[in-house]
Amino acid sequence: MEMLLTVLCMSMLGLAVTAIAFGAATRPEKSSSQVQPELRPVKAVAPGRFFADKVVPPDSPGSYVPTEVLLAQIENHVRLEQAAAQSFLESPTHAQLHTKTTSVFVN
Amino acid sequence: MAPDRSELLKDLTVDEAQRILAFASRLTVPSGASLFQLGDPAERLFLIERGRIRLTLPMQVRGREEDVVVEERTSGQTVGWSALIPPHKFTLAATAPLETEVIALPREELRKHFAANPTVGYKITLNLAVVIGHRLQLFQAMWLREMQRTVEKHSA
Repeated sequence: MEMLLTVLCMSMLGLAVTAIAFGAATRPEKSSSQVQPELRPVKAVAPGRFFADKVVPPDSPGSYVPTEVLLAQIENHVRLEQAAAQSFLESPTHAQLHTKTTSVFVN
Repeated sequence: MAPDRSELLKDLTVDEAQRILAFASRLTVPSGASLFQLGDPAERLFLIERGRIRLTLPMQVRGREEDVVVEERTSGQTVGWSALIPPHKFTLAATAPLETEVIALPREELRKHFAANPTVGYKITLNLAVVIGHRLQLFQAMWLREMQRTVEKHSA
């Protein structure tokens, strides 16, 4: 009888310890402070690139435009723009103001 | 130079134009030479008699300063109107791409002449307003076209 009571007490004690340990393990953590810790800014994530994205080809020696040619293109662009602006002044309409240019400098 | 051949002397009588041209000097600008530089004191106004003048502004192109043409003026047209508009400093550079002949009108002489002859001063000021107004409208339209392209590029 004594042995049965001892075993029963030990079992109850073991069950209680197990229950406390389980409760402690599964209890959600509580912060001691109500203030949220300051979050460090995370670097902006670059937008994903997909196959459909426009790909800008790197400059290659073959596509290099000499400065003299570039200056000539700028000059030609200015002339075309002046001609377009002059046409607008002679006939000021929305369509005349926004006519498309054939300038290689912007196309 | 006959008054009807010059945008600045337009509507002046032959006699009025002759009196203006009496204190002018004729200059020949060799091909490739500079008539004035950006920021120079604007002491004289120029009427182009023959040839062509390129008006340029400096622009950084690949790390180098390059003169970019913003306007070209030919025979009968006027350059250097900063001579009559404070602070009397040139806001563009002017060069001759080919041998060019200009009539130079000194600012101080013009000012004295206008004070003594207000009718002539009024006519020339009106002609100058047309020249300045035209450039303003032209560049306004050019600026808007460039802005439109910038907006389209950024909203695409």
